[in-house]
Amino acid sequence: MSLYRWLDKRYALAPLVDFVRHKEVPVGAHSMFWYYLGGLTLFFFTVQIASGALLLVYYQVGEQASYESIRFITTKVPFGWLVRSIHCWSAHLMIVSLVLHMLSTLMLKAYRTPRELTWITGFVLFALSLGFGFSGYLLPWNELAFFATAVGTDSVKAVPGIGEWLMQVLRGGPDVSGNTLYRFFALHVVILPLAMFAVVGMHLIFIQRQGMAPPLGQAAPRGMRFFPDFAVRDVLLWLLCLMLLASLAVFLPYGPRIPGVEWELGRKANPLAPAYPGIKPEWYFLWVYQLLKEFPPHLFGMEGPQAALAVVTALLAVWALVPWLDRRAGRGEASPEFTDLGAAAVVFLAFLTLKAWDIGGGGQAQPDPHAVARACAVWTLGGGLIATGLRFALLRQTWFIFTGAALLHAALNGLAGLSYLGAGAISAIAAAAGVVLSRRRRPVLAGGPP
Amino acid sequence: MAEQRGRRSLLDLLLGAGFLGFFASIIYPVLRYLKPLAPQESAGALRLTREELGRLEKEHSLILRQGPTRILLFEDPEQRLRAMEARCTHEGCTVQYVPGDSVVWCACHNGRFDLDGRVISGPPPRPLARWLAHREPDGGVTVAPSPPEGRA
Repeated sequence: MSLYRWLDKRYALAPLVDFVRHKEVPVGAHSMFWYYLGGLTLFFFTVQIASGALLLVYYQVGEQASYESIRFITTKVPFGWLVRSIHCWSAHLMIVSLVLHMLSTLMLKAYRTPRELTWITGFVLFALSLGFGFSGYLLPWNELAFFATAVGTDSVKAVPGIGEWLMQVLRGGPDVSGNTLYRFFALHVVILPLAMFAVVGMHLIFIQRQGMAPPLGQAAPRGMRFFPDFAVRDVLLWLLCLMLLASLAVFLPYGPRIPGVEWELGRKANPLAPAYPGIKPEWYFLWVYQLLKEFPPHLFGMEGPQAALAVVTALLAVWALVPWLDRRAGRGEASPEFTDLGAAAVVFLAFLTLKAWDIGGGGQAQPDPHAVARACAVWTLGGGLIATGLRFALLRQTWFIFTGAALLHAALNGLAGLSYLGAGAISAIAAAAGVVLSRRRRPVLAGGPP
Repeated sequence: MAEQRGRRSLLDLLLGAGFLGFFASIIYPVLRYLKPLAPQESAGALRLTREELGRLEKEHSLILRQGPTRILLFEDPEQRLRAMEARCTHEGCTVQYVPGDSVVWCACHNGRFDLDGRVISGPPPRPLARWLAHREPDGGVTVAPSPPEGRA
């Protein structure tokens, strides 16, 4: 207590203590679980910093050292395999938790006025996390890392005006080489962490200043004391997740062996070896990988990869601008369109990811794309229809135009045999027509919780 | 009063320009520093080493490096030597010769090219640039860039 008094005298801690004592988390009709996901993501990020620092003790960067040092860590250093396994598992779990956090924020409309900048900083944190995943992927300097980086860095060439310059800056030359390794190392261990700390700081300051978003439509909800009630639950969830992480790291030290979720070291990168069959990026990039495959060589006067990048940029821009697009939620009204946008995004990403995994391809190196599209469409339609039924029955949601369009897209491509882009164009037109019609009949269609 | 406002806006303009200049003087050297130096171009002919000849004999295809360029060299079903850039025109992966199907294939996004480097199927937007492979009388093999008009 005397230490507290000593500090209080110098730094006036009383207002801070008062703030913590009175801080509350809004309690609404929805599950409290969604409020823990941001903290959980931060917890996994902390694990990343700790395990990353431990890896740095032995990791050496360079064409002649990276692969060898990772092999040394995993085979010779006591518990080195565990540290690497925790670093890899925690990276994947962090992305899972981050994606769930972002989706729940969308579903609960927590981005609405006045929390637009909290959403934007969250979006930037999502982009930085993907940057972490992408830059860390190269550091073992194995075959998979080499080609994943070759494709990822080549795709920035499509950025208008500065694409070639950007690619060269990322690679440190015309091709992926030892120079790329140095640059990605600097990015992974210095630049991205600094940026992450800064943006996490902003994100947290915004949340502390404004408090967590109360449920939509409840002006004065009940509250749960943040300290100790919410904080203790937070810590309990972290402990449970730490146990889950430790179990996964011990029993599956190289991942579940699903393409995109495995980190077996494999063979050392050889710039003069061809890409091997079945090569896939990490699971959260699979949808972009598949989109690159779906685009024809040329579209609207652009090369296929350029057009694909333009589409990805447009989709991400819509996602980032949701707080401004959803004006109804800003006024405190229900906006079922944006709930459905989140569900449709999941269907869209799931269909592409299943296709990237060649589900239904019979395990062949060059599977029949029609058979893959058919099987993936069946899975997507099955899962999507069940989820939509549950949304209707349990959550009383009635606005399904975007999800319907995403399911139509899968059906037209997989079952009717239309090209992915042709099916996408028809579905987009159907969705636009549906939106126009629903606006005309809004008094009838509107309703149901957000 | 109006004169004072005019002076103030001029000062604001000068200050703004000063700040811009200050930032530019920091950013420009950083951007120049980050841009890697141009690689030494050596687009001339390449003669295979004994080891590379041995690998070509054994595996019927190999990938060579000439300066910044990766080149795929292989023996087609008629035992003719063919060479082309090994960098896929789609996303830059390294292609491979598949003797069973007589195609050049990129495993990354399933791009397929014929033995002259022309796109057969898949997303690659352009053909692979052709190189000329030549077997010398002494048994050696040289690979040289195709003249511009000969390039696919």
